[in-house]
Amino acid sequence: MAKRPARAVANHRPFRSLASSLLRRTVAVAILCTLFAAGVQVAFTVREENARFDRAIDAVAATHVPMLSVALWDIEPEALRRQLRQVVSQPGIAWARVRARTGQSLEAGDAGERNEANVRRLEIPYPEGREGAIGSLELAVDRSALYERLAERIVAIVLGFAVLATAVCSLTYAVLRDELERPMRELARFTTELRPDRLTVPLGELRPARAHADEIDLVADGFRTLQDGIRAHVETLDTQVAQRTAELEAALDEIRSLTITDALTGCFNRRYLDSRLSEEALRSRRTGQPLAVVMADVDRFKRLNDEFGHAAGDAVLKGVADLFRGAMRERIDWVARFGGEEFVIVLPDTALAAATAVAERLRAAVEAARFDCDGRTLGVTASFGVAVSADGADAASLLARADALLYEAKDAGRNRVLGEAAATT
Amino acid sequence: MSPRLLAFAFAFAASLAAAPAAAQSVAFINPGKPDEVYWVTATRGMQAAAEDLGMRLEVRYTGRDHTKAIEIARELAARPAAARPAYAVITNDNATGRGLLQTLDAAGIRTVFAYSSLGPEERSEMGGPRERYKGWLGSIEPRADDAGYLTARALIEAGRRANAHARDGKLHLIAIAGDRTTPSSIHRNNGMLRAASEARDVIVDQVVYGGWSRDKGAEQADWLYARYPEARLVWAGNDLMAFGAIEALEKRGGRPGKDAWFSGVNTSAEALQAVRAGRLAGLAGGHFICGAWAMVLIHDHANGRDFAAEALEFDRTMFTLFDPASAGRFLERYADGFSAIDFRRYSKATNPKLARYDFDFGQFLR
Repeated sequence: MAKRPARAVANHRPFRSLASSLLRRTVAVAILCTLFAAGVQVAFTVREENARFDRAIDAVAATHVPMLSVALWDIEPEALRRQLRQVVSQPGIAWARVRARTGQSLEAGDAGERNEANVRRLEIPYPEGREGAIGSLELAVDRSALYERLAERIVAIVLGFAVLATAVCSLTYAVLRDELERPMRELARFTTELRPDRLTVPLGELRPARAHADEIDLVADGFRTLQDGIRAHVETLDTQVAQRTAELEAALDEIRSLTITDALTGCFNRRYLDSRLSEEALRSRRTGQPLAVVMADVDRFKRLNDEFGHAAGDAVLKGVADLFRGAMRERIDWVARFGGEEFVIVLPDTALAAATAVAERLRAAVEAARFDCDGRTLGVTASFGVAVSADGADAASLLARADALLYEAKDAGRNRVLGEAAATT
Repeated sequence: MSPRLLAFAFAFAASLAAAPAAAQSVAFINPGKPDEVYWVTATRGMQAAAEDLGMRLEVRYTGRDHTKAIEIARELAARPAAARPAYAVITNDNATGRGLLQTLDAAGIRTVFAYSSLGPEERSEMGGPRERYKGWLGSIEPRADDAGYLTARALIEAGRRANAHARDGKLHLIAIAGDRTTPSSIHRNNGMLRAASEARDVIVDQVVYGGWSRDKGAEQADWLYARYPEARLVWAGNDLMAFGAIEALEKRGGRPGKDAWFSGVNTSAEALQAVRAGRLAGLAGGHFICGAWAMVLIHDHANGRDFAAEALEFDRTMFTLFDPASAGRFLERYADGFSAIDFRRYSKATNPKLARYDFDFGQFLR
């Protein structure tokens, strides 16, 4: 019958295949049917044999009793014995005994068959119409005939049912094996080997193609539908994750830029300036290249604020910052808002002359620029202090020097650039 | 002619007449067994007659086998003419007579039925003696009625003497006859029934057929005693069945001659002694001599004194009823055969003075 699968089954219950369960039940039913049919046959056969015995007795009564009567009357023991032998040669009669009314008796056949239950008694009348009986004839049923017939019939029944049961079982087993067991095992094997990474491997054909669909096909189709659903779901999930990740990264980028950028002007903020300028200073010291720092401040900004409002001040600051950033070397130079209306422009690898030139260009650009604010056009100037790191100056001192130069430029009348080594206009 | 010459001439003529008689050969198909007293006795009587009359006798026993009788007849008929017997004595026991007669007649063997002859039905087909079968010379039978009649009478007398009547005032008789077919058996029964009907105080309870057998007679008697407890008279068709019935009585503790009376037929030594001892109340016999008389008839036929002059068929008294005295005489005279009888006296050929045959056995016991 079915092989036990190598893999343990759920809950570690012992495995029993459907086919074997069905076959067990079929065999049990066949045995019950056999017993029932055998019982019925036994009853019928016993009845039949009893009827046969009755017929035999009737035949004996019709044919032998008159002759026995004459033989008894004529006292012909040989004839009686001959008659008795004929009587017991009848099928179904095992033993016979004639008893004369006067006590004599003769018997024939197997006396072992004689017992109270199966002996019938017939009166033998006088031969010449005289009243009464001249004797009696006792007959015993031949049970061996009954048993033989019973054995024959039971053997026939058992054989018949055995053949039928075998045929039904074989057919059932073949159908179950081909139609149910193999596909179910295949399905079970497939599902037990299913892993997250193999979730979308399709379920193959369980059986050869056929014209009609059955329950197995329904299960397989259901499984395929489920698998398709899962596959679709998994695919959607990837897209969603990618989208969310992109959104997250964008948010992170925004947060990061917010932490290093000044919200109003879009320049780097003071915190970023502190950390990056130190790095620039270290790099400058390492490479020996000059690092220029330009400190810029919008002239008379407090007055502008008071006169035109904070919104105008903000617009001016934003405009100035845009000017500065637009004039920078991309990815090398950078601008940070130092605070209020003060900006720091960092120019790596730039000597004092070049830095002063840049500052001058910026000053000219500010002076030339016009800023729109609530329908009005404003013009401002700015002052610049330019410091260049020589040998190992740190960021703080560089800034301090540039700031000092800025204040000198302010003091000198504003709208001007003041370099470190030699003051120029 | 001088008396001497006359005597010589007579002697010559007698020798001429005797010469072919000496050559007469007779076969007897004996229906009994070679050890059966009655039929052995019959053979001895015939042998005594053959000796006295100068005939050759060949006796063949069938052993009571019907088919054997026909076989023997065929064998005789198949012999070459010289070896064939001229005459055959046959019986109609168990209705074999017809076949025997046809077979032997076809072979030119002349036949005489003795003991039993063809019955009326057989005669309607076969005709009588010297009619269709010319070789059938005649028949001689003991008057079987006599045996039954004489013994039944003796039995009834014994019952009356002992006052063996039952409560109904009747003497109850049971009969064990021989068989249903042999004419002699039927006749004996008829004789018995005649005697019973003549006696007003006798009731025949039942007649059964014992097949002439001692054992069957005993068995049947045993049943009959149980069936008819009041029956005291037992008539039997022969001596053997009578002895069987006596033994059955003795086995039950009864005594013959006291509790029940018996009669039989035949002259066996045992039967004759039983008569002397009072165990048999009636015994008839002597008919065994029938065969010897057949020899006498054949002798006379062969010697120019054809018995047809007197009769073709003889149905005469042969039986004699024995009393203890005659039984004793029989045992004395004939224990060793019948040579004491001179059969020449009873032949018309050898005893020309004899005018009429007398077959009664009683004449030998006087």
